[in-house]
Amino acid sequence: MSDFRLPDLGEGLTEATIVAWQVAVGDEVTLNQPLVEVETAKALVELPSPRAGRVSVLHAAEGETLAVGSPLIGFEEVGAVGADPAGESPADAGAADAEAADDSATDTTRRASSTKSAAPQRQQVLVGYGPVLPGTGRPRRRPRSFQTEPYIGRAAQAVSGSAEAAAGETPKALPPVRRRARDLGVDLTAVHGSGPGGRILRTDVEACARSTTSAGTRPGASTRSSTRVPVTGLRRETARAMTDSAFTAPQASVHTTIDVTDTLERLRHPARRGRKTSFLAAVCQAILPAAARTPSANARYDTEAGEIEHFARVALGIAVATERGLVVATVPDAEEADGLTLTERITALVATAREGALTPAELTGSTLTVTNVGVFGVEGGVPILNPGQSTILAIGALRTQPWEHRGEIALRTVVTLTLSFDHRVLDGAEASRFLMDVADVLSDPAILLTR
Amino acid sequence: MTTTPNPAVTTAQATTQTTTMTMAAALNAALRDALEADPDVLLIGEDIGTLGGVFRITDGLKDRFGADRVIDSPLAESGIIGTSVGMAYRGMRPVCEIQFDGFVYPAFDQIVAQVARLHYRTGGTVQMPLTIRIPFGGGIGAVEHHSESPEAYFAHTPGLRVVTVADPQDAYSTMRAAIECSDPVMVFEPKRRYWSKGEVDTTVTADLSSARVLRTGTDATLVAYGPLVVTALEAAVAAEDDGISLEVIDLRSLSPLDRQTVAASVRRTGRLVVTHEAPGNVSLSSEVIASAVEDCFDHLEAAPERVTGFDTPYPPAAVEDHYLPGIDRILDAVDRTLGRRNSREAA
Amino acid sequence: MLTTTSAPDHDLVAGLVQPLYVLAEDGTRHPDPTLDPLLRDVDEELLTGLFLDMAVIRALDDEAVALQRQGELGLWPPLRGQEAAQIGLARALPSTDFFFTSYRENGLAWCRGVSPGEMLSVWRGTTLSGWDPFAHHMATPQVIIGAQAHHAVGYAMATKAQGKDDIAVACFGDGALSQGDLNEAMVFAASFRAPVLFFCQNNQYAISEPVALQATVPIALRPTGFGIPSLRVDGNDVLAMRAVSLFAARHIRSGKGPMFIEAVTYRLGPHTTSDDPTRYRDEEELESWRRRCPIARLERHLEQLGTDVEQLRAEAKRRSLEATTALREAVTTLPEPAPESLFENVLSTEHPGLVRQREQFRAFRNSLAPEQADGQQTEGSSA
Repeated sequence: MSDFRLPDLGEGLTEATIVAWQVAVGDEVTLNQPLVEVETAKALVELPSPRAGRVSVLHAAEGETLAVGSPLIGFEEVGAVGADPAGESPADAGAADAEAADDSATDTTRRASSTKSAAPQRQQVLVGYGPVLPGTGRPRRRPRSFQTEPYIGRAAQAVSGSAEAAAGETPKALPPVRRRARDLGVDLTAVHGSGPGGRILRTDVEACARSTTSAGTRPGASTRSSTRVPVTGLRRETARAMTDSAFTAPQASVHTTIDVTDTLERLRHPARRGRKTSFLAAVCQAILPAAARTPSANARYDTEAGEIEHFARVALGIAVATERGLVVATVPDAEEADGLTLTERITALVATAREGALTPAELTGSTLTVTNVGVFGVEGGVPILNPGQSTILAIGALRTQPWEHRGEIALRTVVTLTLSFDHRVLDGAEASRFLMDVADVLSDPAILLTR
Repeated sequence: MTTTPNPAVTTAQATTQTTTMTMAAALNAALRDALEADPDVLLIGEDIGTLGGVFRITDGLKDRFGADRVIDSPLAESGIIGTSVGMAYRGMRPVCEIQFDGFVYPAFDQIVAQVARLHYRTGGTVQMPLTIRIPFGGGIGAVEHHSESPEAYFAHTPGLRVVTVADPQDAYSTMRAAIECSDPVMVFEPKRRYWSKGEVDTTVTADLSSARVLRTGTDATLVAYGPLVVTALEAAVAAEDDGISLEVIDLRSLSPLDRQTVAASVRRTGRLVVTHEAPGNVSLSSEVIASAVEDCFDHLEAAPERVTGFDTPYPPAAVEDHYLPGIDRILDAVDRTLGRRNSREAA
Repeated sequence: MLTTTSAPDHDLVAGLVQPLYVLAEDGTRHPDPTLDPLLRDVDEELLTGLFLDMAVIRALDDEAVALQRQGELGLWPPLRGQEAAQIGLARALPSTDFFFTSYRENGLAWCRGVSPGEMLSVWRGTTLSGWDPFAHHMATPQVIIGAQAHHAVGYAMATKAQGKDDIAVACFGDGALSQGDLNEAMVFAASFRAPVLFFCQNNQYAISEPVALQATVPIALRPTGFGIPSLRVDGNDVLAMRAVSLFAARHIRSGKGPMFIEAVTYRLGPHTTSDDPTRYRDEEELESWRRRCPIARLERHLEQLGTDVEQLRAEAKRRSLEATTALREAVTTLPEPAPESLFENVLSTEHPGLVRQREQFRAFRNSLAPEQADGQQTEGSSA
């Protein structure tokens, strides 16, 4: 048996509707005898038989709409020597039809499979085969003649690496610098750009390559060697500021370790659909009401004037370690932001800081600094004040450890908060109250409701 | 300033016959010599016979070769090209003149749907050895439709060769090569350079597909064609004062494009500036820069720059000097590629 | 050369009131003082030859329509109804006169010895040009309406310049009358007295647009404004068509410049197989033209002359079957072009940019796994 498939009857048509059959199963037809009248989007068209033979099947009923390329009518072979399809059994043809009728297959596979099963015979070529409409299945690439492997894109890498890196722009570097970095095996995301606008220069890549190499091939103990690096730029500025701070402000610190298991669960609640408030942002949010209750935590000691200046608003600074050194980036309008927005702002700010693209306003102007040393894995530490501020809060690493929970020992996530303060501005009681206000909110955010 | 021998032209063995002449005279000589050399060559266009062409490019040729070979056509550009197609069917080699750049549009169908395709359509059976001459570009204080740069439309069309000429020698040699070529060739003649003078050796031949490095340099590659080749060379001289060494390339052929010559230069300089009078949007500079990015991405020390006509219709003559790229706009772009202070730096 | 004629328009046109004809609807011979002198060689053999030509052409045309309906051709522009116009012209001119035609002139192609495969390949999409124009003195079909008129004029100007007496023929339809190219071509032809015949088959419709939209005066009057003499003929009278073609060719060949023929005929079928003519013309009109069938008219004439029409019909049927069988056979033997052939003949020489694209294309094809039994079809359809 051979099928005649519905051709494209008018330059790009995709289907036709059966109007009236002019033959029935069992009829003997001659070449070009009208078989059926069909209606396309353009016209009513009579289809002449492509061959002489006996009609064995009508694949569609009157009123039915067929896609171009679908089987329309089948013929038995009547002494058609040579035209007889070699080795094609009715079962094969049935299988092809079944495949053709399978809506889940794409047009492509459908046509491919029916063509395949009819391969031994010369089928209608369907010159006007119509445009292929999008199939119901997923579009798929054809397999390649070589082995292919899944691509690990930026998003996939971010799961194991830095989410910030995947969200941000790619490092700025000109093509020849990128080429150099590839050749030297240098990851550009780890290179600080010293060029205009933070652009990574060839020298930056080469310096990075050198430092990696020297670290990798650390000389043996027998020879003592060292590298002298000139103190310039940000390093020099940091050094000056820290010295200034250490030797002008008498600093003391208090710390506390708290259970933040429940808070973290809330921050990662599934109802937030993957958008998370970072713990850093939560700390920032906790600081704001605490600073309101302890104004001296958001203040500075003005030596020259002999006054303590209480700042009207909290301008939170986030200490960011960049390739060039430490910078404190100011979070704009922290009090007006919710946790999610604050998280996004901090992420963007940190990325900008790492690019070295912070504006002068973003680099100065903070009144109270948070330093997240926990990202380096340490439990905590005693920070030195940012000059011109009265407090600085260090956040340690979130760590899971046995902890008292509801009268029993349980594995809980805890964090250590350390507050350094200018003893000229605050005493231990005020500093402790400020720290505990922050800690209480982080332990149980609902406490805000009771204040 | 250093110059290199032009790889696009080679001197024939014959004794050299060098004369100083204008580009207009060089084109006239090329047409005369082509008519002399091949009886199948004929010229057809508006006012080219008795008048000698509005730019006098065909001056005296009708008297010399007769009205059957230097044909004053009716005022119908489609007719000039379409009639030439029929003549080419019959073995002639018509050289068509479109009087001004802005008059080519009525002939657009005949050029892109007929001339460009017949060789391809007929599997190589029918050749279309037409030469279509078009005076193009601005800078002459002309009225509307007389200062256009429509070359990109044709460079976009497969099956056409699109070439430009920049100086009298190039004009002579390229015109001879265009007429001898079996393919349809559109020759864009920079009308504001018609009266510039130069040495012309009529024994020098040229190919139709090579760009030429007119001046070597080390800091940036400056690509131009047609009327802006002279401007580019001037810019290179002016740049010396700032210590900048520019390599200047005359593209000559706009289609096919000589990517190799451009790429070889950009690989050395790492910087690319392209200039033309036509608007920049989807233009030759688009193509040259895209090619350079494809061919020598790893060598680009700066984003390529272009200095083109603005994306406006050709403006009134009174402001055309602002529209046309000059050496200052070109060098400002060069400065951008070099990271020097420039007009676009943030204040 | 560039003189202006002062002749009144009506002296330049014949057949304006009643298209010239020599066979009446009923097949009787109608005397015509202009055409009669050109009909002295007509004998039964010539008449039966014209009959067989028309019959075979109609059969080929019908077969091509069927092949399109059967999915073997992408498109076909039927000529049914216009057989006399085409056969009359083709059989009047020597085979060295050059035709520049539109796409419906398959009757001319047939008479010029174009093989079935050559005739169909464009419509099957295996090539852009079915035959060697120089081998058949016929350019391959022009799709841009009217563009070929210029080519005919240029060709004619060249033959004249070369001192040869070949003429060129521009064939087009009524729609082309509105194209600038045709009008420009008539200007050129008149100004240069080009030996070119403008041959218009006015089949009443440009797709759906009636001829009145293209011309509010008889088409044959149009060329007179250019100073081109014009003949308006009954396009369904093959004998008149042959006579006017002979007349025009003689005029043109004698150095008197171009001439224009308007063959008034009718396209009985759709514009192409993609068209639905019922949207723009009614059955009554169609029926009136069916009655004016050019083949039936000649058959009645032959009957009146005493020809054995039954035998002639049988012969027509035999030849038609032979031709249609060859046509159907040709479809199946047309070679599929190799994919890389699409890069050939863009210019007369290769250029590096295209060579590079071809190499990249080759590499891309090689990168695909050879998993499909019939890769080409799936590739095309998945694009």
